[in-house]
Amino acid sequence: MTRALLVLLCLLALSAPALSQAMQYERPVDTAPREKDIGGGYTTPEVQKPLPRGAWLLILDFALLGAALAASVWLTIYKRSRRAVVWLSLFSLVYFGFYREGCVCPVGSLQNVAVALTDPNYRIPILVTATFFLPLIVAALFGRAFCGGVCALGAIQEFVLIKPVRVPRRLDQALGLLKYAYLGAAIWFAIQPAASRDFLVCRFDPFVSIFRRTGFAHMYAIGAAFLIGGMFVGRPYCRYLCPYGGLLSWCARLAPRGVSITPGRELDCGLCNDACPYGAIEKMRADQAGCLYCARCYRSCPVDRKESGLIAIEEIRPA
Amino acid sequence: MSLRATRRATLKGISRAAALLGMSGAAAFLVRKAEGRVVWQIDTARCINSRAGEVGVKVCDLCLKECVVTQSAVRAVNEYSQCGRCNICPAYFNVTSAVSEKGVPSEKLCPRDAISRKPIGEVDPSDPANNFYEYVIDEAKCDGCGKCVMACKEPAGLGSIRLVVRHNLCVNCNSCAISTACPKDALTQLTVPESISASSRPAHSQS
Repeated sequence: MTRALLVLLCLLALSAPALSQAMQYERPVDTAPREKDIGGGYTTPEVQKPLPRGAWLLILDFALLGAALAASVWLTIYKRSRRAVVWLSLFSLVYFGFYREGCVCPVGSLQNVAVALTDPNYRIPILVTATFFLPLIVAALFGRAFCGGVCALGAIQEFVLIKPVRVPRRLDQALGLLKYAYLGAAIWFAIQPAASRDFLVCRFDPFVSIFRRTGFAHMYAIGAAFLIGGMFVGRPYCRYLCPYGGLLSWCARLAPRGVSITPGRELDCGLCNDACPYGAIEKMRADQAGCLYCARCYRSCPVDRKESGLIAIEEIRPA
Repeated sequence: MSLRATRRATLKGISRAAALLGMSGAAAFLVRKAEGRVVWQIDTARCINSRAGEVGVKVCDLCLKECVVTQSAVRAVNEYSQCGRCNICPAYFNVTSAVSEKGVPSEKLCPRDAISRKPIGEVDPSDPANNFYEYVIDEAKCDGCGKCVMACKEPAGLGSIRLVVRHNLCVNCNSCAISTACPKDALTQLTVPESISASSRPAHSQS
């Protein structure tokens, strides 16, 4: 007890000089001195104001989006190469996802477009408008090329899909309606007056915190849940929740071209039916609204092997 | 059957043309009003660290903690024209630390040593306490923790240091995480007159 008291006293004695030396702070001036009071030819420096990200970088983003869309169409419906689509997805995941940290993305931009269309005081840059409309226009002409090799949110799910499970068609269709409800809710909350406005799609973006390696716990949890689910159910966010996917599938229904299982170029054998993890092949024909441009059906097609003589077609006669 | 197929194809073509036309119309409307864009800014009069009257309260470091950008998009900025150029700047020095042999506090306040101090104007080397000093914040080091902002405030300082959203760092989230967390709703959105990209200077509100 006495020893403890002694230690305490020693400590106090040691710290006392330091305490007594802490100076009483006094402000010497009441107003900022002017240049002539400072003298010596002093000029007040400019306050540092770094410029926003350069215009050409934003234009580069948009150009890369356009190029990736063109590549997705070319590689999928003309080259029919799954391998090339995988490389394109990897590029998009790295650039649009991890490097640009998932922003600006067409998925979230739908809210900004909705606000800008309804609120006269809200403006969006031309490049955001272009980012929103370009994939939709491509979808109206060629199908959902954006979903395939371009969308970073799609790509991250594409790479975790290891053991696809077929979702019963009825359930698949019913769950698919969720994205339209989400689309409606996202627009509804976005077009509220500025004070009560909310951006649901961004708030519950499942993968943006993974791209940024930072974020709220709930965002990480949603992302992890989708990635774990996505190991067995192909791209669950894209098929059941993505509100932009809803818009894209409306446009894709109108497309004159798209992923097609053509009797002349493919063998009408039905192997592609099992290869499609997204339930987008029905009666051996691709459903444009649900097709996510992954080109798995083309990889599964044995037509190349038949042409190179590795396999032959045999008619099965009923016994 | 073939008639039905033709009719369906025609209908599809018409809907497609209508959809493309509608999208172009909406895009044209947005492009025409796109002479500006919306950015986040901090209202100095609301921010706890800079607003008058909030003295003796804890420094708010939510700008540092909440921002989704690593090292935050918020920086402390010294508005030089309003700076007192004090010898012992309460934002530069930890004024409660012991006095060194140079007659100034021995410790600095900034945990990242982002502020530099140099004498300006007519310098009298024999009387350093009577000189004016310039305080420059290194933007690469500053992370917007707010300590210097709180220290440089009436009555101790003149309040020339404020927290500012740096638009070269801000990724312009639709729901800014700092604005969601800020207890004083100090983050507001401001429309600035910039077209496509923002190549011109951002309009920081400094007042």
